[in-house]
Parts: sequence; structure tokens; C-alpha cells
Amino acid sequence: MIELKNIEKYYSSKGIKHYVLRHVTTTIKQGEFVSIMGPSGSGKSTLLNILGMLEEPTYGTFEFLGEDVTSLNERKRIELYRNHIGFVFQAYHLIDEMTVYENIEAPLLYKKVGSSERASRIANLLDKFNIVAKKDLFPNQLSGGQQQLVGIARALATQPSIILADEPTGNLQSAQAEEIMQLFQKLNKEEGITIIQVTHSEKNATYGNRILNIQDGVIKEDSPTQAPQMGGVV
Amino acid sequence: MFKLNLKIAWRNLWKNKVYAAINIGGLALGLTAFVLMLLYINHEESYDTWSPDLKNVYQIREKHDFFTPDNKEHWNEISNSRIANLIRTKLPQAFAVTKVDNDWDFSSVYSLKIDNANPVVINKIKDSDSSFFHVFPYHFLQGSADKALENKNTIVLKESLAIKLFGTTKVLGKTVNVVRWRSDKGSPLTITGIVADPKTPQSLSFNAITRTGDKDKDPENPTNNNYCFLYAKLNKLSDTLVINQTLQKLYIDLKKNLLGGQKQRYNDLYKDGKLPGLKLIPIETVHSTPPYKMNWFEKLKPVIAISAFLLLISVINFINLATAQSVQRAKEVGVKKVLGCYKRQLTWQFLIESALQSIISLFLCIILIEVVLPAFNSQFNVDLSFWHNAQLLTMIAQLAGLFVLVTLLAGLYPAWVLSNYNPVSVLKGNYENVLRGIALRNVLVVFQFVISVTFIISIGIMQMQSRFMSNKDLGFERGNLINIKSNYEDNFAERLKKIPGIEYVATTTQVMGNTFNVPEEVKYKGNSINLNTVTVTMDALPALGVKVIQGRIFSKEFKQDTVNTVVLNEAAANLFGKNIIGQTYGKVDWEGKTNIFQIVGIIKNYHNEGFDKSVLPTVYKVTSLGGTSNTNNLLVRFNTSQYKDLINKIEKQWKVLYPNFPMEYTSLDDVFSKSLEDNDRFMNMIILFSIVSVSLSLLGLFALSTFVAKRRTKEIAVRKVLGASNIQIVNLLNKSFLILVIVANLISWPIAYIIIKKWLDGFAYRIDMPVFPFFIATLISIIIAVLTVSIQARKAAVTNPVNALKYE
Repeated sequence: MIELKNIEKYYSSKGIKHYVLRHVTTTIKQGEFVSIMGPSGSGKSTLLNILGMLEEPTYGTFEFLGEDVTSLNERKRIELYRNHIGFVFQAYHLIDEMTVYENIEAPLLYKKVGSSERASRIANLLDKFNIVAKKDLFPNQLSGGQQQLVGIARALATQPSIILADEPTGNLQSAQAEEIMQLFQKLNKEEGITIIQVTHSEKNATYGNRILNIQDGVIKEDSPTQAPQMGGVV
Repeated sequence: MFKLNLKIAWRNLWKNKVYAAINIGGLALGLTAFVLMLLYINHEESYDTWSPDLKNVYQIREKHDFFTPDNKEHWNEISNSRIANLIRTKLPQAFAVTKVDNDWDFSSVYSLKIDNANPVVINKIKDSDSSFFHVFPYHFLQGSADKALENKNTIVLKESLAIKLFGTTKVLGKTVNVVRWRSDKGSPLTITGIVADPKTPQSLSFNAITRTGDKDKDPENPTNNNYCFLYAKLNKLSDTLVINQTLQKLYIDLKKNLLGGQKQRYNDLYKDGKLPGLKLIPIETVHSTPPYKMNWFEKLKPVIAISAFLLLISVINFINLATAQSVQRAKEVGVKKVLGCYKRQLTWQFLIESALQSIISLFLCIILIEVVLPAFNSQFNVDLSFWHNAQLLTMIAQLAGLFVLVTLLAGLYPAWVLSNYNPVSVLKGNYENVLRGIALRNVLVVFQFVISVTFIISIGIMQMQSRFMSNKDLGFERGNLINIKSNYEDNFAERLKKIPGIEYVATTTQVMGNTFNVPEEVKYKGNSINLNTVTVTMDALPALGVKVIQGRIFSKEFKQDTVNTVVLNEAAANLFGKNIIGQTYGKVDWEGKTNIFQIVGIIKNYHNEGFDKSVLPTVYKVTSLGGTSNTNNLLVRFNTSQYKDLINKIEKQWKVLYPNFPMEYTSLDDVFSKSLEDNDRFMNMIILFSIVSVSLSLLGLFALSTFVAKRRTKEIAVRKVLGASNIQIVNLLNKSFLILVIVANLISWPIAYIIIKKWLDGFAYRIDMPVFPFFIATLISIIIAVLTVSIQARKAAVTNPVNALKYE
């Protein structure tokens, strides 16, 4: 599904190149749950941004669903966002002026999904994540964990084939974090959604089935997780 | 989508209530000033557009020097009455031609008597000929255009006048007695028609059109000329350019004929390429091209500029606040972009938000207009209305245009800034490069303050000039002096002189409010000198209370005062030289004989026109009453300021002598205030606009400083932790704005200087350019700016730094 070949990213200042990513080559298949790990400043977030087409690599090629997407125009990129990619953020990034319902509805509106279809999908998601009662609240009336649930629901609304999550539990308490990770695992297992997450935590990384370890912009280690485990039923 | 965007826009406005109110309220104020101007311009533009048939109606203008204010040749609205016949007989394209009375400024009132009722004074009754309603397509409610003025001694009333006089329009066949001047016997005229009042104003406005027969023929003697308005209706599709060329040829022939009759050679008068001139102009352009006066657009230009500036200031507030607020919206933009929203869609969304605010402002503005329109109308002497407007549709279209313009002006830049945010950086919580447009915002703040400071300086100087004018010595005593609209008549004057309390009764051709300038050329010691001649009665100069500088003024003791002695004013004396009392000069009269006049006195210049014109070098002569001194002035000087009763007594005498014509008078105090009226009106408006503009700028600054304080919360917190005191923090925030205000002051000084200099140059009598309004304006602007910013800065300074540093 994703094919990275020799991706490099550097910034030059006063003629000196500062590398953020070097020689990153990897393939991610449909249905994988990949955790990108590494210390601060190792380039893991940049890699995720490149995967999300939010940044362009300075060098190298990036194929998404068999198509070269190394540099895309706005129209094509937004087509991909509407149909294939869902984002989940550390700071949730819900739109403060919209209710829970409206936040989940927004991507469907951009995708021009019909109103009855929209209503049923949102109802489904609210039900699934157990936040029906909260649908008319605004983000600042929810706890962090609840906000992140809404964030995930919003990412799933367009039924994407891949979810890119940047430290999805970074701002949460451990109990809530665990809940979110289990949810990711379930989505991956039961619905076959490809998930790529950036994380600091070893424990969170174990929910996935593959870990990419990055240091100083280079992939140091690419290994399957030791004991795939189901941490209880959600 | 649209609905959701609208909802978000609304929630955002609600969240930032104060700023939204400033934005919307400010914009509404700016719009109100602008729309009032629009209303006024529409009104002025609508002159003579009340019927599509007016397209073929033209006014005739002749180039001549009769009765022009500076005695030079101009294109005049009044033309030789003979031209009507010339066009009628020689120009086949002309469908009809009519002659109409022109307006004489001072005496345009007729007395109307119906049966035995008291006479009523009505203005704008105009005498014309049988063709008037063939040229002007008035709609007849009673009677018909063809028949109405068919016979002599007929009158056609406007609907409004008929209702005023009779209470009904069914008055065909009734007789009214029209007395045109005080000693007129009056002529009974039969009402033969009632016409509807047109919806839009007319350059030739009238209450009634009469046909007394006077306009039917031209003077027989070729040296006598009648001047009046001439209008022609041409066939459709006439080319005015061609017609004007034909007219010019016809006119030259006529001129040659007339001059032949006067035994004067045409070639003598028109040499060196000078040509007599005659032309037709479409009637819609009459109002906008008055001869020898500024047209309404020229007069209005500064006001239009000011109201446009006001609108600009409020639009600038809008832009500043929107871009300052954009930090709060950055996240929304970033998220929407990764959810699959096009930049174009985001731009639209933010434009819709601007549109929402401008539509609310527009509604507020319409309410405001309804509120201020009565005051505006009385201030500008107009009768404007928003809803009952003949051009309501045009008006709505203009408002729609204005709405789009304001939305784009105010919304486009913020929308562009917002929709350009890079999602990667804003979603990381990095707002550094989000703070775009700071430079532009500073420029806009400077611009606002330049306008405001210029306004403050202008008010200061204008106030000084108007104080100078109202306190200036006029050269005559304007108190206890009235001017009755009447010629001097011995009988009446003698009766008045007997009333105790009345000091002088006199007449003059030159008094403030009604001046008739007659130029003459005199020979003094071989030099020719151009003077303005004023004819007075013996008592006129003392009645006016002029000040004698040298020699004496006229007196009954000197017999030859009624023959050939003259008094000069200072301006004239300066032309003659020194030691001129007792000297004589010569003047050639129209028969070629030289008359000798002796100078007996010099008086101080006295003003008879506004302060924009300098006093002409003038010679005062006493004639044996009557003659040229009959210009409808009768000065009465009282020796007490309680002269109400005395006026009643005068009116009693008047009624005895002239029962058919009501008495009219003005006090010279009123005339003087009236001469300052235009200026006062202009000043009041400038003051009002300045207050609005300064408060708008301050509101903008207030809101902006709030955002800046918010933006720098973290910086302030860090500085406080490092030991900065509250005062230091306040100063820190003040400094950035203070620099802008000072820069604005420096820019506005030369601008204000140039504008005010130009304004002052319009006055012949003016103050020297003062310096201190400039400093005062600077001081005021700095003080209020510091106060405004400090309110917000203090708030930021006293907050606990922990709150700001706890979260990233």
C-alpha cells in the first residue's frame, strides 16, 4: 500500500544541510498496524507528515496505492484526504466552534456524502464509540479521552483505508490511553484498517504488529512486535 | 456546508462579542455616513429626470456680460428673449420654444389674492408664454397642456399650491389676483390647469406658471433687450452638435442685425477672434452646470472624500481585527485542510463571515439613517428620504454594490491570510509564522491615525477661523438694523421717520444680503481707475453706522452733495493715492460728456458679502433718490434693541399704503449669520465626522491592543518571572503603538497643512496659519492612544504568570 524509496529530508541554512531523514526505504502493506518510535527530534513526526502528504521529501519517491504521490497538487492531495486518509492528533484538534456531531460530520460534507447517508454513518459512529449523549456538546465540554474518541470517530467517518496518528495518547491519562489503543487494535483487526502511529511509549507500540525504530533520521530497526496480544475486549 | 459555515461564523461572532460589536458598529457608522452621501448625490443627480420626454428638452445659453457678477462675459442661463423667435422661425428641428421668467435673488415673491381674503405671499410664480407646456411634459390633473395657456391672463398651478390655497385641485375657472411687486395694480388671472408635482426635483422649479402676455413679444427698439430663460423641445434624434453649429450661424446674423440697428459695428465688438455664442444644453445637465458658480459636485467633493475616508477607517478596523483574530482560527483551518477541504472553500467560508458582519452593519446603517435623516435634512436644507425615494430601486442596487464592495475590501485579505495557513505548523501548535500581516496592520493603524490627526488639526484651525470671522469688525453696525424688501418711497419713508425710536430710513444699492454692483471707470490725474459705484440716500451711510476715516460723509448742509460729491472707501482711496480729500476726478458719461466729482470723505471698508470676497474699491454717491438706487432695499435703523413693537408700527403704515402686498424684511444680524451659515454647516459636519473617525480609530486600537496583549501573554509572563514590574510591562506594550501614533502625526502634519492652507486661501479675510493646533492634535492623539492601550496592557500585566506558562 505504501512504498517509500530512499526518502531524504533536509533543511539547508547558510549552505549547511541539516538532515531530518536519510535513506528511508520501507514498504507498508494493507492491514498493518505500524508504530514509529524514536527519541525526540529523531524525525518520526516528519516521516508521518510525509506519509500524510503534509510535507514533501527533498529527495526520494513515495508511492501510495501504487501511485507516485511524491509531489501532488492540492486537488489530488485533497482527493486522497477525502477518500483514503484519516488523521488523529495528539492535541485532538477538534474544531472548537462545532459540536461533536458537526465535527464528525465535517469530513462527510467535504466528501459530499448525501444527507441521509451522512446521518446514518454519524449515528453509527456515535453509537459505536458510546458518545451518543454527547453529540450536542462542544469539545471544551468533554474530557481529553472523550475528545480523542471524537477525533477518531471523525477520522473514521469517511471510511478511510489508513489512519495516521501522531502521538494519539500523548495528552491522555494511562487508563484513557489504554482504551484508545485497544480501539485502534480492534479497528485494525476487525475492519482491516491500516494504522500508522507515532509514539513514545513502548507499551503502546506493542498494540501494533510492527515497530519502526528511527534514530537521527535513519531507520535503525524494523521488527514485528514480540507477542501480539489482545488486551481484553473493548 | 453553507449552513454549517454560517453557524460557525455566528458562533465565532458570539464568542468574540465585544470585537464583533466594534467591527459591526464601526462599519455601520462608516456605512451610514457614506450612504447619506449616496442619498444626497442621488438627489442631485435626479434633477430633471422626472419624465422620459425631457430627453428632448434643452436649455438655451447665451454668452454675454449682462448682469454677471464680475461684469465679464459668461455662458448665461438667461438669454436675449429675441432668440426664442429666431429658433422658432429658423430652426426646423425645434418643436417648441418657450420663454420663462428667471429668478431674481432678492425679490421673487408675488402676492396672491383670492377674492377678498388677505393676500398670501407665494414664491416661484413664473411668467411664460403659450408654449411652456408644449416644451415641458407636465402631467395635467385638470385642464390640458394644449389649452391651458392658450389665452392671456391665465395661470396654471401645481397640485401642491392648489391644495395649499384652496384645499382641492378642482379649481378650474376660478380667478386669482396676482400682484407682482408692491406698486403693481395686480392682474386677475383665470386658473386653466393643475399639474402634478413631479417626483424628482426640477432645475426650473415653479409653484405656478402665468401667462400675462408680457412674454409674448420682444422689445421693439433694438437697443432694448429682455433677458429670460429659454427652453426648446427638439425633434427626436436631433444631433445637438450640428444644431449648435447652425444656431451659432443664425445667432451671428441676428447679432449683426441688432448691432446694425444700434449703429454699432459688429466688427468693433467682436474682434481678435472673439465670437458671440449661443448653444443648447440638455436639460438634465442644467443643474450640474450652473454658470459662474461651483456645481454641487465641486461643493460636495470634500464631503464625499471625508465620508469615503470614514468608511475606509471602519473597513481598516475590520481587517485589523480579523487578521489579529486569525490566530484563534488557525487550528480550524489546519484541521479542515487535512479533512479534505479546498483552500478555495476556506476562502469562501471566511468571506461569508465578513459578509455576515457587513450585512448586519448594513441593516444597522439603514436604521441609523432613518434616525439621523431628519437632522441631516435640516442641516443641509434638503428633503431626502430613504424609503419614500423615487429611486428606491437604484438605491437598493447601490446598497447591494456597497455590500459586496465592503465585504470584499474587509474580508478578502483576512480570508486570504487564513486560508493560506500551513496545516503542519499550525497543528503542531506553532503559531510563529501564523502571525502574518503585522506589517500591514501597522500600516493600517498609521493610516487611521493620519486621518484622525488631520481631522483634529483641521477642527482646531477651522474653529479659530470661524471665531475670527464672527468677531471681525464688519465696518458697519449690524445690530438694530433691518432691511425691508421695498424701494425707497418718500411718502412711506416720511411716515416711518415720524415713529419714535426710528433713527434713520435710507436706501442703498449695496448692503449685506442684497448687493448690486455697477462698475465704472474714472479719470484721475491722467490715470484711469476702475471703481464699483454705490448709490445711496443721504442717510444711508450713517444708518449703516460706517466709520469715517478722513473728511466727512454726506450731509444735508452741503447742497452739492446731491450733485457731484463722492465718498470713497479705503480700498478705493488707496487706488487714488494720498491727500485726496477735496480733489476732483472726471467721469465720462454715456453721452460722451465729462462730469467732475469731488472727493469729500473716506470711510472704512465695510463688508457686504461673505469673508471669502475682498471688499471692492467703491465710490458712494447720492443721487436725487430713485434712479439706480431702486434695488429693493429700505434700511431702517432703530435706536433701541427692543424693536419688535416698532416693526408692528411699520407694518401698520405699510398696510395703509400697500394693502395688496405683504411686507417682508430681514434683520442685518440674520443676514450676517446667514453669510456664516455655509461655513458653520461645513464645520459642524467636520467636527461630527472627526469625532466619529477618532472614536472608530480608538475602538480599533483598543481591540488590536487586546489581541497583541493576548499574543504576547507568554512573553509577558516570562518577563514577569524575570522580574519586570507591572509598569514596565505596560510601557512595553505602549511603546509599540506609540511609535505608530507618532509616525502618523509626522505624516499628517504636512497633509493637514496643505489641506487647511487651501481652505484658508478661500477666504479673503483669514487668520495666519497657527502652529499650536498641530501640537495639540499630537498631544491629544498620544494621550488617548496611551490611555486606550494601557487599559488592556494593565490587564495583561497583572495576571499571574503561572497561568500563562502552565500550558504550551
